[in-house]
Amino acid sequence: MMLDERFFDKFGVEYKTSEIIFCEFEPGNEFYFIVTGSVQIVKVINNKEKTLDVLTKGDVFGEMAILEEQPRSATAIAMEHTKLLRFHRNNFDALLEGNPQLAYKLLVIFSKRIYDAKRRLMILLLDEPQLKVMDVMIMLAEQDPKLDLQSQITLPVSAQQIASWAGMADTDVQKELTHLARLGKIDIYGDKVVVHKIGEFQRMVASKRKSMYA
Amino acid sequence: MRQTSTTGILPRKYKSGSIIYFEGDKSEYIYILKTGRVLLTSVKLDSGEEVKEDVRQGEFFGVKSSLGRYPREETAQVIGDTEVLIMNPSDFERLILRNVNVVLKMLRVFSNQLRRIHKSVRSVLGDETEIKPELELFKIGEYYFKGGSLSHARYAFKKYLEYYPDQQYAKAAMDRIKAIDSGQVSPEDMDFGTPSPAPASRSVIDDDGFSFDEPEAPGPQGDAGRGDGKRSRIDGGDDLTPVSSEMDDFLSGDGGGSGLDDFSLDNFEEPGGGPSVADDYARAKGLMKSGKFAEAAAKMAEITSGAEPAGIEDRRAYESAHGDLGTCYVKAGRLKEALDTYSGMIKKFPGTPLEKAAYFYIGTIFESANKPDKAISYFNRVLNMTPKDDLNTQAMKKIRELQSR
Repeated sequence: MMLDERFFDKFGVEYKTSEIIFCEFEPGNEFYFIVTGSVQIVKVINNKEKTLDVLTKGDVFGEMAILEEQPRSATAIAMEHTKLLRFHRNNFDALLEGNPQLAYKLLVIFSKRIYDAKRRLMILLLDEPQLKVMDVMIMLAEQDPKLDLQSQITLPVSAQQIASWAGMADTDVQKELTHLARLGKIDIYGDKVVVHKIGEFQRMVASKRKSMYA
Repeated sequence: MRQTSTTGILPRKYKSGSIIYFEGDKSEYIYILKTGRVLLTSVKLDSGEEVKEDVRQGEFFGVKSSLGRYPREETAQVIGDTEVLIMNPSDFERLILRNVNVVLKMLRVFSNQLRRIHKSVRSVLGDETEIKPELELFKIGEYYFKGGSLSHARYAFKKYLEYYPDQQYAKAAMDRIKAIDSGQVSPEDMDFGTPSPAPASRSVIDDDGFSFDEPEAPGPQGDAGRGDGKRSRIDGGDDLTPVSSEMDDFLSGDGGGSGLDDFSLDNFEEPGGGPSVADDYARAKGLMKSGKFAEAAAKMAEITSGAEPAGIEDRRAYESAHGDLGTCYVKAGRLKEALDTYSGMIKKFPGTPLEKAAYFYIGTIFESANKPDKAISYFNRVLNMTPKDDLNTQAMKKIRELQSR
């Protein structure tokens, strides 16, 4: 995507390696577009800093500030010398007029975020821990278009990651995984899970969803 | 990937009752209702309730699932004879480039939807306690402060003062900034009457294949050999800055290749005739620098197999020798021994500033052993360690390389 050159003079900002761009819970009125460099999105969860995402050239972040001021939900840190374009909500209309491609990009970002958030909500709404764990695996499988869901698949995910998706305690997830492994449904390795028949999980979760609303 | 052919936007007519698409269908098409009526039927996630919604004439539908590339979340049915315009994402893009106001409107709708979903997520998680951004921002500052990421801490405290100059923790934030600026951060400073999150717990190797034990809880025997002087050197707030700059030195080191060859904790300025372990170490280091890794390994192993020395320089040399021994093994292709050495080091010196580089090397070992998953998990560990420096960046690059394979 090509952005108007003039924009760097007006909206360009630079950050050094490891410099904070914005901090979790700081009020946010601006959103950013990465010109060069990379940005790490982190969040302090249970007193540990977790990396949520790493963004690079062409990516947009802080976009939730577009429509109204609200506290940042995560911290953004420059991972190297990074050049950004920074836009205040008030310039937004003008910006889109000048760069309609950016508007399209934002629509795509929002579409994806909405789906991801809904998908996670679907997991959380299941009431049985075992189904929640299964549904996290289903979600991860769905997200990777390269996987063949008809055959055995390998998901690069740890028990902790499943726990955070499912809103469950690590130990409870571990228990469910062990159980599934004993039943011969999955194999567990430290940082990956091999699922023999994800289709079976899909059917179980789908039928549970149906009955929930019946 | 996008088609460059100019397919164009096409009109399509539907008879009453026809289905344009079903929930769960995968399709990239986006529609505009031209004449007639289209009803969208979806199921509410939380209640299972069926929701019906009319598309107004001139309105888009099918946008989100097309752009987000996920299955349709609603069924679109025609009521009465109806005409729609149908387009693919690139047609859509071209169309909206000329109608920025439409995009703005859509973004507002999307953003509100997203906010509503986030709210539901929070309520399902039982996390409905009202969050006070003011307090939370201060806590973030404290988190970084206690973890020794002083520049990050300073940023959070500064923002606190900027936005909440009259709030409860303004004075505390000010005091923190003063302490950081004056370089007088001591462990005692880290403990005034504020909401203090427990000290950041150190991530632990949860490896299955190699014999790493939990370095997190050094038992009495683990601590016994460590002099008090060392503990304060490694853990004390005062020394956190030097530690981070050492990590930088790591990389600027010899310039060649990965540049990660230097495990020394410090420059030895001891004049000739200094402590013996430090001398031995300096000699071994010399061999390493001239590329004689096998010989260097032998010397380093001699040092590390000895008892922990008493003098501060000697102890530093002793600790560094462990890391360098691992590096020599890596260079000599003795990977299993390298892993054992690193794991031994992490166990022997819990919380050592060399730990991060050790994890990085362990990652590279798994990488060369063609175990990308394992490698990624170690690079990830490096990535999450503070203070952030070039090693984090390198780890990120490695992760990306490995993931794109």
